[in-house]
This record gives sequence, C-alpha cells and structure tokens, in this order.
Amino acid sequence: MHELVLAGGTPFSVQLNLLTPLFDGIANGAAYGLLGLGLVLLYKSNGIFNFAQGEFAMIAAIVTYVFDSGTGVLPNLPFFVAALLGVVAGVLVALITERLVIRPMFNRAKVILVVGTVGVALLLIGVEGLLPYPKTEQLPDIGTVLGVRPYVAKVDQIPIADQDVAKIVMLVVLAIAAYVFFRYTRTGTAILAVSQDSTAARVVGISVERISAISWGIAGLLGGVAGILLAVPPQGTLTPGAFTGSTLIVAFAAAVLGGMTSLPGAFVGGMGLGLIEAFANADAAFVPGLRSVANGQAELAVFVVLILVLLVRPRGLLGQES
Amino acid sequence: MTADASVSSALPGRRRLASRTVATRALAALPLLALVLWLPSTNDTYGHVATYAAIFIMVGLSMNVLTGYTGQISLGHQAFVGLGALTAANVVKTGIVPADPFMFGVGMVCASAASGVAALLLGAVALRIRGLYLALVTLVFGSVFADAIFTLPSLNGSDAGVSAYRPNSLASDYRYFLFALLLAAGCLYIDQRVRGSKVGRGLIALRENELVAQAYGVSVLRYKLIGFTISGAMAGLAGGVAAFWSQEFSDKNFTDVAGFNLALTFVVIAVVGGLGSRGGVVLAAIFFALTSPISPLLQSLANAMHWGTYYGNNKFYVSNVIGAVLLLQTVILNPGGLGQVLRPFSRWFAGHPFSLHDPDGGDTTAMEGGGVRA
Repeated sequence: MHELVLAGGTPFSVQLNLLTPLFDGIANGAAYGLLGLGLVLLYKSNGIFNFAQGEFAMIAAIVTYVFDSGTGVLPNLPFFVAALLGVVAGVLVALITERLVIRPMFNRAKVILVVGTVGVALLLIGVEGLLPYPKTEQLPDIGTVLGVRPYVAKVDQIPIADQDVAKIVMLVVLAIAAYVFFRYTRTGTAILAVSQDSTAARVVGISVERISAISWGIAGLLGGVAGILLAVPPQGTLTPGAFTGSTLIVAFAAAVLGGMTSLPGAFVGGMGLGLIEAFANADAAFVPGLRSVANGQAELAVFVVLILVLLVRPRGLLGQES
Repeated sequence: MTADASVSSALPGRRRLASRTVATRALAALPLLALVLWLPSTNDTYGHVATYAAIFIMVGLSMNVLTGYTGQISLGHQAFVGLGALTAANVVKTGIVPADPFMFGVGMVCASAASGVAALLLGAVALRIRGLYLALVTLVFGSVFADAIFTLPSLNGSDAGVSAYRPNSLASDYRYFLFALLLAAGCLYIDQRVRGSKVGRGLIALRENELVAQAYGVSVLRYKLIGFTISGAMAGLAGGVAAFWSQEFSDKNFTDVAGFNLALTFVVIAVVGGLGSRGGVVLAAIFFALTSPISPLLQSLANAMHWGTYYGNNKFYVSNVIGAVLLLQTVILNPGGLGQVLRPFSRWFAGHPFSLHDPDGGDTTAMEGGGVRA
C-alpha cells in the first residue's frame, strides 16, 4: 500500500502520500549523517563537539565550485578533479585548525576547546564571506556529471533524485569505512586508545599529537565529502554559514540521537531525524495540535527528539555508557 | 566607566581605604564616567549605539554568569534575548501609542521571567548529564525551536513585527540610554552578588573540581541550574530592553543567520572579556557594540579609507572576522582575556598600589584549572 487516504470525519480531507516524505527524509537524513560522522569521530577522539565541521564542508564545496566552473583566473577542471581539490582543502583546513587551535590547548578545559572550534567556524564564515565567489551558486550534482539526471528511478510515480542516491551511497560507504577503520586498523585503535586514556596511550608508545592530527584530518575529509554532496540542487547553496546554521545543528541532534560515541549511530541518528523531520512536515494532521504552528513542525520535532533522548537515554540509541 | 567602579567593591575582603587613595581613584574615574554619560547625549545615533552597548553588557554579563562561573556554554543565547523581546513587546502591546509606564515595567519583568523559566527548563534537561550538552541543547533551542516559536504569526505581528513604543518619559534615545545603563548596572550588581554568595562560591568550587565540591556537599545540578536560570533571566531582561530600543520586536533579528551570528557574538564577548571577569566583559561588550554592523563607527572609518562600499556590502562578514580573530587569540594566547590584561588597572581602582605584577594571580585564570570536564 503506497497511498494512505484519510477522508471523512475531518474537515480537511487530506490525501497523504507517504513515499515523498520517506524519500525526503532519507535524503536529508543522509546529509545529517554525513556531517554527523565527522562530529562523532572528533567526539570519540578529542571528547569535544566540533562546531567548525559545517565550515570544513563549506570550504570544500567552495573550492570544488571555483575549480569546476573556472571562476576568475582559475583553470576550468573536470568535476572529479575539482572535487578532489575540494576535499583536500577541507582536510588542510582541518589540519590547520588542529595544529593552531586544538593542539596548543590540549590540556585545557574542554569548554575552552569547544569555544575554539566555535571561533574557527566564525572565522571561516567571515573569510568565506569576504572571498569573491558567487555565493548563491550551487554545485552540479553527481547525476549531472555522470549524465543520469534528474532521477535514477521512479517508484510509484515518485522520482528518486540522483543526488539523494549519491548522498546515501556515500554515507553508507563512509560509515562502513569508518567502522572498519576503528575496528581493524592500528591507527583506528590507537585513536580509540587515546580517547579513553591519553596518558596510558602515551605510555605504550602512541604519539598523542599524531593521533590528534590524524583524527582531525579524517574529520576534514568526511566534512569535505559531505560539503560536496550537500551544496547541490535543489536546496544546496554556497552561502557562508549555511551548513553551520541549518544542517550542522540538526546533525548534532542526530548524532546525540544515535549516540555521540557511535559511528553507526551517526548513520542511524541521521536517518532517524531526517525521517522524523520529513514526516512532521509532511502533514500536520498527524498531530492535531501542531496545525497552528506554521512551518515549524520539523523544527519542533528536532528539538523534542533531542530533549527526549537526553531525558530518557542520554547515551543515545547506539552509544556506550560513559 | 561603571566597570571600574564595580571592580573596587567586587574584591573580597574589602578593606578600609585611606581617603587619599579613594580621592585619586574617584578623580581618575570621573572623566570616564563623564564620557559615558555625556557622549551619548550629543547625538541621537550615539545614544542609539550606546544603548546597544548597554544591552550587550547585560547579555555579556549573562554569559559571564553562565560560562565564567558554571563552566558551561550556551550557543543559543540569542533565543533568550529574543524570547525576552517577544514577551515584552507582546505583553505591553503598545500598538501605535507610547507604552504605559506601568505596563512597560510589567513587560520588563515578564521578559526576564519568561527567559528565566525557559533556561530553568532547558537546564533541567541538559545539566543532568555530565559534559557540555548544554551547548548542544541551547544551540538547537536557539536555532531550531526558537525559530519555530518566534515566527508564529500570532506572536510576531503576522511577520510585520510587533511595535513597542517607549513610554513618553523614556522617548528620547538619550533617556532610554540612561534607563538601559541603569539596568546594566543592576546586572553588574547581580553578577557581583552571585559571585560573592554561597551559590557563587559553590559554582566556582564545582567548576574547579566537581568531585571534590560534591564531597563537600555542593549539589551539582541545583547550583548549575541556579546559575543558568539567573543567566537566562538576565538575557531576557536585555531582550526586553532591546525590543523597546528598536521600538519593535521583529523575529528576523533573532532567527536564521542573524540570530546565529548574534549567539556567536555573545560567546565572543564573554570569552574575549575574560571568563569570570566582569570588568573585562563590560569592556568587550562595549567594543563589540561599537564595531557591530549597526554602529556607524567602522563604516565611517572605511569611508575615510575609501573602502566604504566594500565594507557596506560585507559588514557582517567583517564583524565575524574581527570577533573570531579576537576570540581565537584570546583562547590560545591570552586565556584571561581583557580582564587579565586590565588587571593592573582594576587592582589600582580597588585601592592597591599600581603594579604590573599580579600578586594573587587573579580569578580569571581559574578556567585553566581544567576542572571543567566534558
């Protein structure tokens, strides 16, 4: 059954289509999950919330755009080369952040480190704003590049957009890669060791500084990939602060829902919150009282989910007991 | 400035000072005080910006109570300010006539109460959990929840804004500035009382080492909640003042990118001023009000250097960069913030001999203790 028809009885005889919010929710959820992976990674390794993650993504998207379109004096490169440069830029910015902001404050209170990442986000927003590139543009999505635009398939007349498929595939690939990395590689286990007890890790010969740089580099990589997948039509944008102001905030809530310490949790939480948002927005008739709230259902739902998770199960769906 | 006057009474163990000492300090404070009181009266724009500075001082002190004393951070303080503004404008409901002075007062109290209650509820959820979850909860509250509430047509005048005309007695920009200054001084006093009270000492103990403080019978949740509620109420009051400053409540000032920018500016003020340092926070608030996009200061500076158009187009980004650079240099190189830099002067105003060395190290570096955990 693909269509649910609620009719009679209510003054609004609404026809609810459940497939559209389902697809929307999964696509948005993939975006939250992509940003959330980087957040969880740094929470695991450094124990801090990284508020600059959204701008790592934006830097990558901007660099990709300027090389892909050949803005100004820059060469007009093929999309995938430009995207590679974009991800490299994201990684570089993350590494610079680690070296100049995080490492000098290694032994300081966590709240100061979090404030540091807020400062980095603010600085990146400002610098991006002062750069001369067209801020209202969008990146071409992978579907256009590969020539499968605008959708890969239709289910029951509803198209599944190519950029959504790209987001989901990338999220699954990255989540599995990150899981394997932490589970089976020496560096991954070393990152976990440092996060649990940095002194003990040092004693067994792990370089805490190197591990910190590696985890920030990976976070930059994850952020960069996310940025390139997020800045595509229809809603994507290259406006400075756009990812931080909207996507990142929900991504944090998603990461908390999934459990801040769990990488698969970022995936689950992202999908969960994306779906909750989409269905809350789909039709207010689901919850009668919300009819009076104009356009705010999705926002309210995100907030309520965050509060409920913190009240009932602070470690999230898949997180470990701290 | 008012900050200097307050610092003198803020130091614990007040001593009886020689009258000569008092006289020299008073003489030094007089020109500052005269400047603060006289300059805004010369020009409506100055009065307008000076009131903005007073509002920033109130929010800065509110952040100071939260971050400086409880070691938590709020990334959604614009929501408390906005909630205060919304409450004040909707309680007073001036329409097109000046507010009734009594209702104006009621509006201010309601503004403060609404944000205080909101903070209490949020804190009750977020402060139960160890770590900096308050940052996340306030972030989502400020950027997501408040957006939904502030844009309700019944509360934002169907998108047109709710007008909030000042009462006749405060109609001029200068008079309203004096009113805001008085409230800012009140916040400074509350901040000082909080720090000096049993709650304040408990909070500092918690910030330094939660386990030890707990062992001495300090209730973690209760004390942090008190701190956060006071902080929220102060921000709400600032919001009430802000509504009548711009003479309307418009949700656009507190939502989306504008709201998020505001939230980060408040963090910047508290950190650059020096966490836990009242005087520094007051100065930082004044600085960021003067360099904010609503102040003509940077615009005229840019005009003089023939960058007027460029600055005009990029105001918000310029103020982001200024704030971010100062924030980063403070956290990395100068953790005590402005408060620490100005300590020789504040100590002198407190009646000590002038010295660039700080014999007792100062409270502002206490953030370094590392007792704050996440």
